Amino acid sequence: MKNTVKHTGLLVLSLIFFFSLSTTNAQTSSNEITYVKVEVKGLACPFCAYGLEKKLKELKGIETIKIDVEEGLAYLTTLTSQKPTKETLEKIVTDAGFTPSSVVFSKKPFNLKDEN
Amino acid sequence: MNRLAIITLGIFFTLNVFAQGPPITTETPIMLGLEGNGVRTFGKFISKENVTIYVQPIGIPYNITSKFQVGAIFPFKLITPKDSRTTGGFADMTVFAKYQLYKKDGKAKTFRILGLIKQTFPTGKTSSSSTIGSGLYQTYIGIVIGKLTTKIGLYTDFGYNITNKNMSDNFIYNFSVGVPLLPHKYPQKQLNTFLEFNGNYVFDPKVHTVFISPGFQFIPGRRILFETSFQIPIVQDNITTNKTNYMVLLGTRFLIN
Repeated sequence: MKNTVKHTGLLVLSLIFFFSLSTTNAQTSSNEITYVKVEVKGLACPFCAYGLEKKLKELKGIETIKIDVEEGLAYLTTLTSQKPTKETLEKIVTDAGFTPSSVVFSKKPFNLKDEN
Repeated sequence: MNRLAIITLGIFFTLNVFAQGPPITTETPIMLGLEGNGVRTFGKFISKENVTIYVQPIGIPYNITSKFQVGAIFPFKLITPKDSRTTGGFADMTVFAKYQLYKKDGKAKTFRILGLIKQTFPTGKTSSSSTIGSGLYQTYIGIVIGKLTTKIGLYTDFGYNITNKNMSDNFIYNFSVGVPLLPHKYPQKQLNTFLEFNGNYVFDPKVHTVFISPGFQFIPGRRILFETSFQIPIVQDNITTNKTNYMVLLGTRFLIN
């Protein structure tokens, strides 16, 4: 009887442990951030950037957008689970009236000029 | 002659009403940001020898795509002849369409060419002593060219304006150089300065006017812009009476979405 109680207790504890572990992993995965750098050709004036920023904001999962006009770059942070594809980003840039160049995805933040 | 001068001036300012974004009195081939869907309005005070004119146009462009824009301009005009009472009302309405013909983008620079068509309707009244409208249908066909980098903006537009009722056609041309006075950052404040030239050549009788137009533009945020320009005549060939002394423009543009 004692053994049964002991085994049941261990089983419950194990289940709780594995359940909490899997929940933690799931939370980590859903909150994970991907950093994106999009090179935008033709972005030559700050007042031109509004249309691009507006279209990028419409993407699901976008956390932050920073546009560097001098370098012609748009930096995004997005939830990894909702990360846009390279093709989606290129279409947004084209629809905003610019020419897309490179799109780089990274797990680490990019060094922004203002933050150096 | 007065009527011709007023018509010419009317054509002149109407065609310059919707210079999109920077520059101020010249068209731009860049239909992005503040030059896209929005509203532009400004007050323009015109001082002439025998009359003062105040014009308050409202222009509304709409981007159908990033390459194709349509819009309309509704000007309100007040005319005060010397020793006479002020007459006011809505002047001639203009609709326009712009289509991007060429685009070459590079890192922090762009070169674009647009085709521009405008149609002006004689909606302004012409019955009063100081005519508010031209009484003419006018069709303008032109080209807009611009090169923009983060250091400088060069713009030009030119085109032929066809009028009805045996009135003379005219050729309109504008040129602009714009230089940012603050580093180009987004969405920080921007201050731009412009030097522009605005020309108009009427074929019959031959009347040629050119204005030099220095101006400033302040962009405090993402969606609004303020601008001012002072236009001084440097050529007024074959205008013997009622020459233009100067013109002052003070305006704003803002995005509605």
